[in-house]
Amino acid sequence: KDKSAASKDSSPEEASKRQEDGAETPKQQLLDIIGNMKVEVSYRKKLQQLKASESKKQALNRGEGPDSEGSLPQGTAEDTQRGKPLNPELVKAASAVASSLPRNQKQTESELLAQLRRHEETTDKQKKGGIINLRNVISEMTVKRQTPAQRNVRLSGRISLQLDEDGQKIRPGRSSAQSVDSRRSLKVGKRLNIFTKASTEPEHALKTVSSPTIWDLEFAKEVAAVTAQPPRNGFEEMIQWTKEGILWEFPIDNEVGMEDDAEFHEHIFLDKHLEGFPKEGPIRHFMELVICGLSKNPYLTVKQKVEHIEWFQKYFEEKKELLQEI
Amino acid sequence: MAAAALCWALRAARQVLPPPCPRQVRSYYVDWRMLRDVKRRKTAYEHADERLRINAIRKNSILPKELQEVADKEIAALPRDSCPVRIRNRCVLTSRPRGVKRRWRLSRIVFRHFADHAQMSGVQRAMW
Repeated sequence: KDKSAASKDSSPEEASKRQEDGAETPKQQLLDIIGNMKVEVSYRKKLQQLKASESKKQALNRGEGPDSEGSLPQGTAEDTQRGKPLNPELVKAASAVASSLPRNQKQTESELLAQLRRHEETTDKQKKGGIINLRNVISEMTVKRQTPAQRNVRLSGRISLQLDEDGQKIRPGRSSAQSVDSRRSLKVGKRLNIFTKASTEPEHALKTVSSPTIWDLEFAKEVAAVTAQPPRNGFEEMIQWTKEGILWEFPIDNEVGMEDDAEFHEHIFLDKHLEGFPKEGPIRHFMELVICGLSKNPYLTVKQKVEHIEWFQKYFEEKKELLQEI
Repeated sequence: MAAAALCWALRAARQVLPPPCPRQVRSYYVDWRMLRDVKRRKTAYEHADERLRINAIRKNSILPKELQEVADKEIAALPRDSCPVRIRNRCVLTSRPRGVKRRWRLSRIVFRHFADHAQMSGVQRAMW
């Protein structure tokens, strides 16, 4: 069957090229070529392709007659377009087959060449990464058709790999293909029922403990005390000290414990706190000086500054009678 | 029941295992003078803000003098130990009032003792 398939692929090439010669019969030429060639293609692929090609040829080839000369340059043009130089023998054989079969030679040739391309691509792929095919074969152990979907995926992946300008492989295509294959191999087959599905019971609501009892606290303390082994080396000692707070954390953060979230304007513009004071007089003058000093103080927090001003306010209110005597 | 058993096991284990290495804890001050100094420092810290503010009123050329006299009286009414002047930087280990280096808070004798035993980090006998 392989030989016949190969022959049919190779014959059109031969026939179209040698029609000019017209000396040998195309079939004989085909046979000679096939005898020399060794085509490594899977069984079913070939059959499918042949069937497809035959059906197409029967439909179309009755129209046009022999256009060998026209088809040749077209064939060559198509070859060059594809970018991959096919084996010239294969090309010849394809042309011979196309000519031998009673159909449109151009289209048959083109289809055969396309199929040949696919053959070559698949063989290359198998050479490079034949793991996928092997897995399929081994897992299933029966010759199954490669679904056209898988084929298309692989082709698209390949083409995308070739055409991607960045040079980066398009991972999703490949991974999806691989996953599809693996999924097929994983999910196919009888269930062994070794593993019982873990029953995901809804965990009972946590026991609402109002507050940890004293006994719980004591227990926790005891556990901590027992498990706390004396440090084995200096590093563990330093770790312990850091946890206790004796040792600072390195790299030293100068702003540890200092959480001043106030903006700079809250530190500097303290006039709004002076509302409780009389607007004129020595007290106001004095308080403005106080505020000037506070605005320049970087060590106090805003809260402390406000407290400072409020203390003064309270103090002066207490002394109001005295001040009015003056 | 399980908790009780575990507790017992823990206590037994704790008795067997030595407690983690204890650090030197100073439970007594070296002498009474040191204790009084400690008290003075505490009260000074508590009244520091008040003293600052009242002094700000006192050392003033803007406010009327009557107000400043009142402030004088107020500050005098504060506890005597609240003034920072009464604090004496004593040696931390021996409570020696004199010959104390501020950086190490140690008297000269103790400092020399530790330095010679190479227990002072970065301190070396001078030679030039």
